[in-house]
Amino acid sequence: MNNPYEVLGVSETATDEEIKTAYRNLAKKYHPDNYNDSPLADVAEEKMKEVNEAYDRICEMRRNGSHSSYHTGSYGTGNSYNRTSYPDVRQYIMNGRLDDAMELLNGIPDTNRDAEWYFLMGMIFSRKGWNDQAYSYFQRAYQMDPSNPEFSAAFNNMNARRTYNNPGYNTAGNGMGCSGCDICTGMLCANCLCNCCSRGC
Amino acid sequence: MFGYIKVDQANLLGKEFEAYNGIYCTLCRQLGKDYSVFARLILSYDCTFYAMLALDLCEQPPCYQEGRCRFNPFKKCHYADTQSLAFSLAAALSVISAYYKLRDNLLDSPWYKRILYRLVQPFFASWRKKAAKKYPEIDESVSKMMDRQLEAEQDQNCILDQAADPTATMLSEMCGLLTEYIPLREPLQKDNTKRILQSMGYAMGRWIYLIDACDDLEKDQKRHNFNPFLLDHRVDLPAYMQANLNHALSDALLSYGLLDKCRYDSIIRNVLCVSCVNIQTKIISKYSDAKETED
Repeated sequence: MNNPYEVLGVSETATDEEIKTAYRNLAKKYHPDNYNDSPLADVAEEKMKEVNEAYDRICEMRRNGSHSSYHTGSYGTGNSYNRTSYPDVRQYIMNGRLDDAMELLNGIPDTNRDAEWYFLMGMIFSRKGWNDQAYSYFQRAYQMDPSNPEFSAAFNNMNARRTYNNPGYNTAGNGMGCSGCDICTGMLCANCLCNCCSRGC
Repeated sequence: MFGYIKVDQANLLGKEFEAYNGIYCTLCRQLGKDYSVFARLILSYDCTFYAMLALDLCEQPPCYQEGRCRFNPFKKCHYADTQSLAFSLAAALSVISAYYKLRDNLLDSPWYKRILYRLVQPFFASWRKKAAKKYPEIDESVSKMMDRQLEAEQDQNCILDQAADPTATMLSEMCGLLTEYIPLREPLQKDNTKRILQSMGYAMGRWIYLIDACDDLEKDQKRHNFNPFLLDHRVDLPAYMQANLNHALSDALLSYGLLDKCRYDSIIRNVLCVSCVNIQTKIISKYSDAKETED
């Protein structure tokens, strides 16, 4: 296994707090919810596992048990939605057999198409990269059943991406503003500073 | 490709900009070396990005040497050693895509431009032939894209995703191809890296296609040409454009996030997080301003 400190991108002399922050940022970045509708969902899951293991190992090495319970459960694989009317379709999507999944879904008559049907259709399009179609299907699924956490998560996630508000990027504090808001906030701060300076002079 | 994938110089460090410029100049020299001194004129930012992405995958960073620019003898350039195939691949992609773009332009340009295109076509064709011999996959991929694009545009029920798919697929294949030719640095694994690059390439290809469509919207509207944003009548077109572009860029960034960071991370992020965002804001603002005055 790789050096756990390298995996988290921190030095071995980092404080517990720094490690926790690095772990949180990475966990946010690789969170399964971000990649649920991406063809790279499995790669992200592997990364997440690696980060979790690295964090656990560091905690263990530092003999500080209080951190290790931090992520359990909250950053799992996220597939806790067991009730499904389309197990085959979900299996196909997970295995990347998008055309087969689409064929199965298209075989279902119009009258039987429920919110999950629209959600899975959106999932297939999203994994293909056909974002616009994916968005309208997710939207429909959400409108038909807003109380379903899976549908609302997918829809909200996509809305965030359509405003270019990526989890794990804006929050990582990398100095490069991703969204207009960041730039605006930056400008405001800079403006305040300038004002303060000019008054001081 | 259309030259939208460039860096935002104001937000780059000096050394980063120097490294990027070095890649740009080396690709220019490679075009001259592999094809002809005139082939240097088709140098594009998109292919520079492609070369940078390829170099990012290599174990060894390129070594730079100082030289003089062929076109401006007063300008000093930094040329990288061209042992890696990164530059040769990017040069081949440049000439092949330039050839097909020219062929496409021949179909829908005014007569005076067509004469010019006809005159230069034999040169482009011979460069393309040479490049296709070296990298048949690139030629196949780009020519397939042109055919599929034409097919999509002629389809009565064409939707936005379908129209963007040929360009996106082509770039996805091109990015995936890098893993076949470039020996990957540690700890990259071929399978995963290929998938990550393909997915990133798809999203970037989609973004390139859509931003070009946004840019050409007024012209296409006037001339009744095909444009994916004119397929259905949207109420708030600027917002729809923005959402689709954001989504594609965001997907590219998410895919790239899975790749282990390396030497050009800050430049690649500059392109995706700053430059592309600025370009799309600038282009879309044309339409939102127009809409505001209408209201």
